[in-house]
Amino acid sequence: MDSESVKQEVIKQVQTQYAMNNARELIEKINEHCFQKCVPKPGASLSSGEQTCFTQCMEKYMSSWNQVSTTYITRLRREGGQ
Amino acid sequence: MDALNDHDLEKLNDKDKAELRLFLNNESQKARVQSTVHSLTDMCFKKCITSNIKQGKLDKTEEGCMANCADRFLDTSALTMKHLQGLRQG
Repeated sequence: MDSESVKQEVIKQVQTQYAMNNARELIEKINEHCFQKCVPKPGASLSSGEQTCFTQCMEKYMSSWNQVSTTYITRLRREGGQ
Repeated sequence: MDALNDHDLEKLNDKDKAELRLFLNNESQKARVQSTVHSLTDMCFKKCITSNIKQGKLDKTEEGCMANCADRFLDTSALTMKHLQGLRQG
């Protein structure tokens, strides 16, 4: 390997690692919040109502994440521009 | 591709080292922003999504609440800093 390909490999590995950490964090939070919300009294199996709720909750959590991200980044730009 | 070992890393020339340093700084800054977004979302989801979930989309009220919640939390942390600074100088 030459310097260039070592550099590219480091970049690739770091990006993969960050993306995985980010995904893991998001999945953990979704499970935590949506289990709390959608399965208040765990039964013998996951009912179809609980499953629907979970899917919708997941979608809602991801939209919420995007909303917060937009708000925060807008604010950082505004404050950085001062 | 296989894991890099120390021997591979020694092949980096100064120019590529400098580029990597810049790249890593940028990535860790991005990671800090994302980690803040995670904790704000965690906190605000609890505050804003209070009714039973009937659809996957965020409705207008929830959307506005999430944005306000994130913004106001950042206001209060700025306020904390300002207050502490005032105490230090007073």
